Amino acid sequence: MIVAERKPIPRILKTIEPFKKIALIGCRGCVAICSTGGDREVEIVSAALKLARKKQDRPLEIIEKTLIRQCDPEYLKPLEKIAPQVEAVVSLACGVGVNLIADLYPEIKIYPGVDTLFYGANPALGEWEEKCRGCGDCIIDLTGGLCPIARCAKNLLNGPCGGSQDGRCEIRPDVPCVWHQIYERLKARGELDRLKEIWAPKNWIPAGHGGLRRRVREDLKVNKPNKEKP
Amino acid sequence: MSLTKITILCCHYTNEAGEEDFAGIPACIEVRRFPCSGKIEVVDILRAFLDEAEAVLVAVCEKNKCHNQVGNLRAEKRVSLTQSLLAEIGLEPQRLRLAWIPRLDTGALVEEVKNMYEVLVDILSQKGDTK
Repeated sequence: MIVAERKPIPRILKTIEPFKKIALIGCRGCVAICSTGGDREVEIVSAALKLARKKQDRPLEIIEKTLIRQCDPEYLKPLEKIAPQVEAVVSLACGVGVNLIADLYPEIKIYPGVDTLFYGANPALGEWEEKCRGCGDCIIDLTGGLCPIARCAKNLLNGPCGGSQDGRCEIRPDVPCVWHQIYERLKARGELDRLKEIWAPKNWIPAGHGGLRRRVREDLKVNKPNKEKP
Repeated sequence: MSLTKITILCCHYTNEAGEEDFAGIPACIEVRRFPCSGKIEVVDILRAFLDEAEAVLVAVCEKNKCHNQVGNLRAEKRVSLTQSLLAEIGLEPQRLRLAWIPRLDTGALVEEVKNMYEVLVDILSQKGDTK
């Protein structure tokens, strides 16, 4: 999932400072799962913002709504009814949702309420950990399923580095050295030979060369009506 | 002159205190009961403040005495999170307290409310607010 973290309340307050009525829009996708921007967090952030503004003697009115997702245009439709009732919209979705709203509804003053952090897993309640950097050229078939791009502090492709001690990372001793883990994993799987292969240089072009990345599947696109008579 | 309002959020098992029990405290005491303190959400606490409470006391059963095993421990974490939210928005975190109350011990609850009231009086007097 995409893991995000709520922005500090004073930062959100500063963003919406000129407004008397806003909409606070959550998302039931990744940010709900990582307890940052779902229904519950919309209620909490809304109450906190109202309380802060009440304290300033400048009451704030908030329309609360949580959408199924904010990264698909069809789920943004409720905004068309909400936006005309407010001066601004604060989204608790990840940056993808905020960007899509900004693309599709340029007339809406849309602001982020969260910082988007990383692609991560939820190894335990209340914990999220980066597992993937979305570099677009996955090499974890060679590394026992463990990603050195996301999980090595130096993003090494030929680790472990000289600083790895007792299987721990020298930059973050609380974190295991992923290259140590890769070695042990491949050894246990009888696949150590994979580390003897000379890998071709990693292709970094899919990691973001040339601006925004797009993926197109022509077979999934909506067909335009055929105007020619058979 | 309106009385300072203190809201108590507690579970049914913590106490059955009524209006007469708080008669000696010169504040407006509101009690909001929940099925278990584990059901008290951060937003419930914030809404109590939005509903004019100057201070909120979350009263929970003693450790290892929660009817639902860990409801009181959940409440403890939520109080802690809410205190940090209050600090973020510039409200004194001391306005929110957690109290471990022996089950159905009204005297202990009233004592905690009195303590809360005294803390609140301190906060308000430092701000020059003499409600």
